[in-house]
Amino acid sequence: MKKIIGCFTLILALLLTGCSRGLFNEDAKITVYTRDTTSGTRDGFMNGIGFSEAAKQDDLLVSGFLIKDNTAILNAMTIDEYGIGYISLSSLTDNVKGLKLNGVIPSEANVLNDTYDLKRPFMWMIRAEDDYPSEAVELLVQAFVAFLNTTDAGDIINNAGAIALPSSTTWDSIKNDYPITAEDNHLITVRFGGSDSIQKVAQALTQAFSAKAGNFIAEHDHTGSGDGWKRTNGDSKDQAEGKDVGFSSRNFTSAELANVNATQTGQLAWDAIVTIVHNDNPIENITTQILKNIYSGAYTLWSDLPETD
Amino acid sequence: MSRINTTLRSKKILIDQFAHQGLKTLALLSASFIFLIGSVILVKGLTPFLTDNDGLGRVGLIPFLTGNVWLIGPTFQSSLYSVGFLIITTLYIVFLSLLISFPVGVLTALFIAKIAPKKLAECFRSVVEILASIPSIIYGLFGAGFILKIVYQMSQLVGVQSKGGNSVLSTVIILALMTIPTITTVSEVAIRSVDQRLIEGSLALGASFTQTNFKVVLTAAKSGIFTAAILGVGRALGEATAVSLVAGGRRSGLSFDLLDTTATLTTTMLEGMKESQGLDYNIRFSVGMVLLVVILITNFLLNLIKRKVGKIHVK
Repeated sequence: MKKIIGCFTLILALLLTGCSRGLFNEDAKITVYTRDTTSGTRDGFMNGIGFSEAAKQDDLLVSGFLIKDNTAILNAMTIDEYGIGYISLSSLTDNVKGLKLNGVIPSEANVLNDTYDLKRPFMWMIRAEDDYPSEAVELLVQAFVAFLNTTDAGDIINNAGAIALPSSTTWDSIKNDYPITAEDNHLITVRFGGSDSIQKVAQALTQAFSAKAGNFIAEHDHTGSGDGWKRTNGDSKDQAEGKDVGFSSRNFTSAELANVNATQTGQLAWDAIVTIVHNDNPIENITTQILKNIYSGAYTLWSDLPETD
Repeated sequence: MSRINTTLRSKKILIDQFAHQGLKTLALLSASFIFLIGSVILVKGLTPFLTDNDGLGRVGLIPFLTGNVWLIGPTFQSSLYSVGFLIITTLYIVFLSLLISFPVGVLTALFIAKIAPKKLAECFRSVVEILASIPSIIYGLFGAGFILKIVYQMSQLVGVQSKGGNSVLSTVIILALMTIPTITTVSEVAIRSVDQRLIEGSLALGASFTQTNFKVVLTAAKSGIFTAAILGVGRALGEATAVSLVAGGRRSGLSFDLLDTTATLTTTMLEGMKESQGLDYNIRFSVGMVLLVVILITNFLLNLIKRKVGKIHVK
């Protein structure tokens, strides 16, 4: 019995010393955390670090990586001193260290002034004038696009995890310009589609806006950024899957913009991703190239990383 | 007088018949859900093997059941799924967790049923019942917030760098914690219902209380104890939420290393489910089918063993 008690005290003592912060061991292996292949954040991250092949493919990543969701990666970085992961910028807390990317601090301000690189724009696109199922739909879509630039929409966008563009207009101050929103629209359906990464934000926006605009029905069918243009102004716009508003989580290409007026498209938000490590990790700054080398397995130890400061 | 009696009696019979039919309908309704659930899983789960999955190609049944990589190629563009290594790790993890939870659970039950004073037993019994009713996500949060940290620091002490504690070991600990209350409650009932005459006989023959408890009581209750183990295995096999928070989401390669990351059939089904579509969505139903088959086979085997070992009659 004495021996057992002795053993327990020893383990407890060891645990307590283990809890006190030890020195960071440069020669430790890097533990790589990632989201799963269906995640929009993973898509944004992999594209951002120039490793787009790995956005949807697990077998290209360094062997022994861990799959976790946003909160679990955040939680893991409070435990694992040698881990590295990425989360959406809006969920960053002080419990972990958010790394500078190419020398730029990850902050909302640096996203909005376009200096922080690991981000992607959330874009919208609407159909051409007079190319809607009905006039009411066209008026509602115009009202929705105006709504996107208000502080009301900004709050919803920020709550849904993205970063809204700065605005000082409120919906109440412009709603009289859109008389359609005062009518009863509960029989009218407006079709939304395009990027699936934006689906959560878009649904939150239409849910709030429908209540402000006569309870129209918002039909969401998000199939990917490519369909943002294709189904509003491209080949399939007049088919059954055609959309009234399309979203894209990248800039529209010049080919897509060829037949589109400047008033038909715009940006509603930024989606920014931040690389995080444990607070004990001495590293402060990282580059996209180093990140790619870590995620592809070229660097497996923390000591493999070149100096970047 | 007799006329009133007859109407009363016929009224009684009517009520009886009415209640009988009503209960029968309800029973049929609840029983029919198994067919409903079974057929939905079957139809969705068989789709990947029977159709060409919108041009991605048919999933081969044999490679699916034997492969060592969850998915070769990009998600939504490849049909090379397989769960072979997941079946084995799932069984491995459940076996290890049972190795902890079974002795602990049964011995706790023995203490509560036979050794503890009445008041203490009552107290322990309610604690175990509360434990049994704690939702799995709570166990998962406990695991993510506490077990991971402990396992990470323990492995550091022995000089191994574990991956944030996400490992077979953490998974096994969580599953053991979850199944102990199940095993305790069920085997406690079995131990309590051991025929008192058997125990008295043993004591009368000069055996000590400890000898009686271990050699007579546990042996007599083994059929019930085995049922407890079967229920525990069932809970461990089907657990997804808690496990996915501590397993680490391994996507390829069979590994029996206690401190390496792992995955089970259920966690693989769960991860990314919300954002999935097409084949990547349907394949999860196929994994569900595999899981159901694994559960059926394990239950069948365990019941077979139970029949072999549990000969002594327990009331």
